[in-house]
Amino acid sequence: MSDEARVAGGPRPGWRFEAIGTQWAIDTHEPLTDDERAAVLVMIDEFDREWSRFREDSTVSALASGGSRPLPADAEAMFVIYADLDAATGGAVNPLVGVSLEALGYDRSYSLRQSAPVNAPADWRRVVSIDDRALTLSQPALIDVGAIGKGRLVDLVLDHLEGQKQGALTVDAGGDVRCSGVRERIGLEHPYDPTRIIGVVDLEDAALCASATNRRAWGDGLHHVLDARTGVPVRTVAATWAVAPTAMVADAAATALFFEGGAELAYRWGVEWVRMTTVGRVEWSPGFGTERCRAELFT
Amino acid sequence: MIRTPSRPVRVGVALVGVAGALSLAGCGATTAADTGSAQTDAGRTDAGSGSSSSGGYADGTYTAEGSYATPESVETVTVTLTIADDTVTDVEVTGDPQARESEQYQSQFIGGITDEVVGKSLDDVSVSRVSGSSLTSGGFMQAVELIKAEAAA
Repeated sequence: MSDEARVAGGPRPGWRFEAIGTQWAIDTHEPLTDDERAAVLVMIDEFDREWSRFREDSTVSALASGGSRPLPADAEAMFVIYADLDAATGGAVNPLVGVSLEALGYDRSYSLRQSAPVNAPADWRRVVSIDDRALTLSQPALIDVGAIGKGRLVDLVLDHLEGQKQGALTVDAGGDVRCSGVRERIGLEHPYDPTRIIGVVDLEDAALCASATNRRAWGDGLHHVLDARTGVPVRTVAATWAVAPTAMVADAAATALFFEGGAELAYRWGVEWVRMTTVGRVEWSPGFGTERCRAELFT
Repeated sequence: MIRTPSRPVRVGVALVGVAGALSLAGCGATTAADTGSAQTDAGRTDAGSGSSSSGGYADGTYTAEGSYATPESVETVTVTLTIADDTVTDVEVTGDPQARESEQYQSQFIGGITDEVVGKSLDDVSVSRVSGSSLTSGGFMQAVELIKAEAAA
């Protein structure tokens, strides 16, 4: 494909819709047919029905009281990443953090009423077990895969569409973006001023995921990025962005970068990143803005 | 503008909450210098109480663990006191802080730091899309608005 053809901006009919609580944009070289769109929506709904703690009929809601459910297809891939995240951040990232989020009011009914912070079970690896057929919780616990779930779903949708459509393809779930056969120039939204961007990343056949504490927030210091060890929202880092081959890994790294150990994990994973602290300091990885990851910061 | 600033370590400040009685000042729970200053301060304190005749402490070594939460970590320290004749003769504070910030910020894992990012208006930069905090669903935002309204009422 010529370089010119890879640049975004050509005729790429987009499809916009809302699902799993965020805005999606899927841009393909040729428009998606109604059947193709329906298949994508089914895929998203199946993932949601397994992993959403906001749905009464989901697998994780059924497991909240403990017990076993048929093994969701993505369980192993995601819990392997969680084990890495847990080890790298000293337990700050934990897939059973649902109980902590609910304590702060980020629950199924969006009560947004804050109770005392609750930490997640530190020994989650003993609570959660998977075998060939089942996902089992040995005690009541609330799985929340918010750290990586959206990234995983972006990967699933992109991989599926790559098998259906030729040419440029971009899947964007609320700013968690993965593209294939195309170059996207992506602005990094200023966490305190959505009319501004602090830099740009030129993304090519890779994923960029972001996490920030400003929008999914419901009160003074209350937002969705919690330290699982305390159940308290983080206060040092305001926003993170990570670039990786897959959206799941980028999403995971973006979460890890809120905590000590995140930069080291990113280094081990080969992930490039930027983050802004709540006092406005910006840090970035050694490869950010180099050949490894074309990018620019407006300093 | 790229620089690598040295920063005060947050651990030292938080430690005061746990070991405040020892007047543990400064930063860094594990450095020899800090253990030294704790020793000095504690010794001074006990020199005063030691002059009192009503002693009440059995000689020996006492160890206690404390933990505290920083915004991004839970830190644990162990404080060991040696008491002889109602006087603290030795204080040892050890810990394994998770948040070794000043160390990390100069490590191989971080490429650069700047204190000032001006940013640019979206109107002035050509981008194909924007990435930040995900736009949230209507349900969540409605709930936030409801809470605000109730709080204002």
